[in-house]
Amino acid sequence: MKFPYLKEAVKSLFSKPSTENFPKEVKEAPEGYRGKIVFHPDKCVNCGMCIRVCAPGAITRTIEKVEDGDKVTFQFYLGQCTFCQLCQDFCPRKAIELTKEYLMIAENEEDLMVRGTFIKKAPPKPPVPPVQPKPVAQNDQPKEENK
Amino acid sequence: MFEKLIQKGLEKSAWLYHLNTGSCNGCDIELVSVITPRYDAERFGFKIAGSPRHADIIVVSGPITSQSRDRLIRTLAQVPEPKVVVSLGSCPRSCNVFNGSYCVEGPLDKYAPIDVSIAGCPPKPEAIMAGLVRAVEILKEKRRAMK
Ligand code: SF4
Ligand code: SF4
Ligand code: SF4
Repeated sequence: MKFPYLKEAVKSLFSKPSTENFPKEVKEAPEGYRGKIVFHPDKCVNCGMCIRVCAPGAITRTIEKVEDGDKVTFQFYLGQCTFCQLCQDFCPRKAIELTKEYLMIAENEEDLMVRGTFIKKAPPKPPVPPVQPKPVAQNDQPKEENK
Repeated sequence: MFEKLIQKGLEKSAWLYHLNTGSCNGCDIELVSVITPRYDAERFGFKIAGSPRHADIIVVSGPITSQSRDRLIRTLAQVPEPKVVVSLGSCPRSCNVFNGSYCVEGPLDKYAPIDVSIAGCPPKPEAIMAGLVRAVEILKEKRRAMK
């Protein structure tokens, strides 16, 4: 009598299981994996290229006026992102990075938002030319015009 | 006494029902790979159920297309309480790149509250497992609250 797979069966008895022991050993994603977005607001120049290339429209931007320029907030909604990496490739300043982190579990929308805020300084104002004082108008001019 | 045993069994073994509402098949393949020997989600007690009436956890993938919308509503209505709705990938959360298409009537939270969302396009099997484990915890809480 012959057991065709006897050798294989005995070998499998003593080998490790092929199942990955997931929650205990979290494996790193392979090289080039496109995972969670990290935004570096200090590098961004607010050119808007990333918003232009994003197909699902996952990137939104709000601009607020503050004293010394614009307060720009970029918001990446990972629940809408398709992880195509186009925003990273097109960013001229390398301000967006798709990391290898892949565990993105959320219970509400807010947990899926990646935000970054920076202040874009307004260009320095050109020196104001001194205004020549206008010749004082005659007092007898009637003021009714304003009424 | 038996009641307690049954309750414990129910908590330890959550049954999944996978509902495809027009997904591109990326997320579906990743969900199937979760039950292969390599990842083996059955270690955590998951089992894919064939009928929504047997399920505890509904995994929805895909933006809701107009063809599948009525079926989605009908299927969700058949699931016994307590149920947990998991959105798999970016599509059910926000319609992803299909947002604004004439035949897409998503996102999912128009029709049912999403309890857990797993971001990614498609998510890695590890992320899906982590999301499902989170769903089981929510299911437990819901079941306790119902008593
Ligand atoms: S990775 Fe693609 S989909 Fe995601 S934010 Fe960047 S451009 Fe948009
Ligand atoms: S492409 Fe880069 S530099 Fe330009 S707005 Fe986007 S993040 Fe900022
Ligand atoms: S999230 Fe991405 S992979 Fe999943 S169904 Fe949508 S487009 Fe396909």
